[in-house]
Amino acid sequence: MRYLRMFRAFASTEFQFEMEYRGNFYLSILEMFLVIGTSIAAVLVMFQHTTTMNGWTLPQMILLLGVYYLIQGGVNLVFSPSFERVMEHVRAGTLDFHLLKPVNTQFLVSTRHLRVVRAADLVLGLVVVIVGLVQVGEQVGFAQALLFALALVFGVMLVYSLLLGLVTLSFWFVRVENLLAIFWAFTEAGRFPVDVYPLWLRVSLSTIVPIGIAVTAPANAIAGRMDWIGVALLGAGTVLAVGIASALWRKGLKSYTGASA
Amino acid sequence: MDAPVVDVRALRKVYRVTERETGLAATLRSIVKRRYRDVLAVDGITFRIDPGEVVGFLGPNGAGKTTTLKMLSGLLYPTGGEATVLGHVPWRREGDFLRGMTLLMGNRSQLVWDIPAADSFLVLKEIYAVPTAQYKRTLDELTELLELQPLLHKPVRGLSLGERMKVEFAAGLLHSPGVAFLDEPTLGLDISMQGRIRRFVAEYNQRSGATILLTSHYMDDVVALCRRVIVIHRGVLLYDGGLADLAERMAPYKRITVTLRGDVGDLAAFGDVVSSTENTATLHVPRTQAGDRTARLVRELGDQLADISVEDPPIEEVIDKVFASERPLAEATA
Amino acid sequence: MIRIYRQLLVAQIQAAAQYRIQAVLWMLFSIIRPVIFLAAWTAVSNAQGGSIGSYTTSDFAAYYIALTIVGHLTTAWNSFEFEFEIRQGRLSPKLLRPLHPLHYAVVENLIWKATTFLPLLVVCALVAATFHVEWHGQWWHLALFVPSILLAAALAFMIAWVIATATFWLQRINTVNTLFQRVGFMFAGQIAPLALVPTWMQVVSYSLPFAYFLAVPAEILRGGVTLEVGLLYLVGQAFWLGLMIIAFRFAWRAGLREFSAVGA
Repeated sequence: MRYLRMFRAFASTEFQFEMEYRGNFYLSILEMFLVIGTSIAAVLVMFQHTTTMNGWTLPQMILLLGVYYLIQGGVNLVFSPSFERVMEHVRAGTLDFHLLKPVNTQFLVSTRHLRVVRAADLVLGLVVVIVGLVQVGEQVGFAQALLFALALVFGVMLVYSLLLGLVTLSFWFVRVENLLAIFWAFTEAGRFPVDVYPLWLRVSLSTIVPIGIAVTAPANAIAGRMDWIGVALLGAGTVLAVGIASALWRKGLKSYTGASA
Repeated sequence: MDAPVVDVRALRKVYRVTERETGLAATLRSIVKRRYRDVLAVDGITFRIDPGEVVGFLGPNGAGKTTTLKMLSGLLYPTGGEATVLGHVPWRREGDFLRGMTLLMGNRSQLVWDIPAADSFLVLKEIYAVPTAQYKRTLDELTELLELQPLLHKPVRGLSLGERMKVEFAAGLLHSPGVAFLDEPTLGLDISMQGRIRRFVAEYNQRSGATILLTSHYMDDVVALCRRVIVIHRGVLLYDGGLADLAERMAPYKRITVTLRGDVGDLAAFGDVVSSTENTATLHVPRTQAGDRTARLVRELGDQLADISVEDPPIEEVIDKVFASERPLAEATA
Repeated sequence: MIRIYRQLLVAQIQAAAQYRIQAVLWMLFSIIRPVIFLAAWTAVSNAQGGSIGSYTTSDFAAYYIALTIVGHLTTAWNSFEFEFEIRQGRLSPKLLRPLHPLHYAVVENLIWKATTFLPLLVVCALVAATFHVEWHGQWWHLALFVPSILLAAALAFMIAWVIATATFWLQRINTVNTLFQRVGFMFAGQIAPLALVPTWMQVVSYSLPFAYFLAVPAEILRGGVTLEVGLLYLVGQAFWLGLMIIAFRFAWRAGLREFSAVGA
């Protein structure tokens, strides 16, 4: 409860700040329209020449694209802006201020800053998903929608665990931005279903840089191609990933504060 | 006798620093085997602070002051020894401990620069779970004491250094901590702002009864605020006691400065001549004989004497002597 | 001029040595997208029995690898950096010197490409192996490629600079950049070889400079053009390069007037 109130305070201050630059705010939304529009155009061009890609039909691809932007939006709304600051803090020694607060440090570090305009990305992504659903034509039952929502949350948390792991490395290695840059480059791969890629890439996109599975799984779920067992397995994997990343974070903190073992 | 607010026993901190020589061969070697050096930052210090005290922590750079503060605020794990603050072990970072204390660092800001201070305060209110009524009261009081009214609604980025420091102070005290650790709080501020901050700290201590431990480079901070000082050098506690006592013990002399109309002759008969120029001279005379010697100087120099001043030795001199001794001073006998 | 360039080169090489890792990373960035689309098209092509239009699966692979190489060699980042330079006040000192700021950028650009070219080729070789690429070109394709890539790189560079001049009026050109990036994404041959996109899109690509700095040299490198078409392409590239140089001179002069009016 307290943590929710804290989060609301964080979001409210960031939002006020962004509203000071209203022009930029609206331009960002416009840019997102552009980006999503051209991505859809790309898919349309591809599907002029085929009806399926690895078993995915056009409406399903649109769905996938929507999920891709949903996941991006979710991660870029809270986690990316917060983690960006953390690396600076570690370098400048101002991480200490987080440590002085009577709040779980991992929570603070992960949610302190937001880019509220990315909520628009979430909305746009959802619109695309709905468009895709309409095209698919099937009825989406409550169970399917639930599976979708769950898979979506798991997907975002998978990406979160990777980001957390990368940021933790900055306790030991100073220039981690480079690694983060590689990560961002790889996230492009999420715009296509993960089974399109050769095996080694498929595996990497499901484990090391889990963007592949983070996007494909929810898309599968709402397309009716993933059942409870699949989502449960995904959930288990997510819990494991978040657990490992959090443990690594605690280890990093201990090293920062000079705790022995 | 109340329980001490800060209780430190044989606290010790050793840093492990990797040593690397330059050159390709050394770099390659370091991949296989790393060489370490142990740096002793704090070497077994012991002291206690009672509720409501304002204690100054003195020491040259690298003496171990900041390291000690970091251990007492829970930011660092010690290598040895024990400490409790407000009855808690700091580095366990329990909620009640964190809510009861604050650490202010002079050269580092905890506020978000792009938003007005007032907004950061609201976030802090939630983080410390300060009830709204109490928050309003505390904020009003701090605003009054620090003259924050014009500063609260401007982005922190646009404030001058002094204004930022005031706002940082307020941010650190919003949750009414029982203990405040202040690390170089007046660093980089101009003289008038230093004075304002000092007055604020004294007033705050009076009004709230909060215990304050402060480190500073500026002797004036310590002289103005602290009746008790702890002197640290090379991680060793050299002195713990009253500032006035310290001066008397380390520098039992007074400083007489004379300005003459003609050339300065040989004044060795009046005292220790520590420096002289063409027309001026500075002498050290034993404290008890200061009055005597002054009178003699006036009498015997007569017309030649243009100006004379009698002062306590500057505190810096006193402290430097303590550092130079590098050995803990024995407890003063009454 | 040659002496000036030699000095600039020496200075910039030393500066670039500091950022070796970042340079390589940037290069990785530019590879990922073509590889992703390659994988997608391979899937589509296989679903259609091994070819789409005149492109077999291995043709797609060759195209996208060529695209990767061309994309790398035509990279120009000045439309992003210019805004930063102005804000940091680094442009004004450059304007005081008798050397157009453009030349610094040329040298910087060339050095980055030189440093990262070999790693790029290594990665391309790996990708080629993974996707079973076969090259069906002739020797003269390679001969044509040399002037083509030079023209393409110069064209991309000039376009970036023309866009950069917008900073003189807009101060923040993030949206302009995104706009251009996305339009380029659609029309420069990234989402598909131009022969496979709808006709109206092809018209846009070839009548505007989009085709000429990416798709065209890629097709030449891949060996997918006849000699006549290849030569025609070169003419098209030269035409647009000339146009862009003229456009730049106008924009730069006008922009400088604006810049000094507002306060350098």
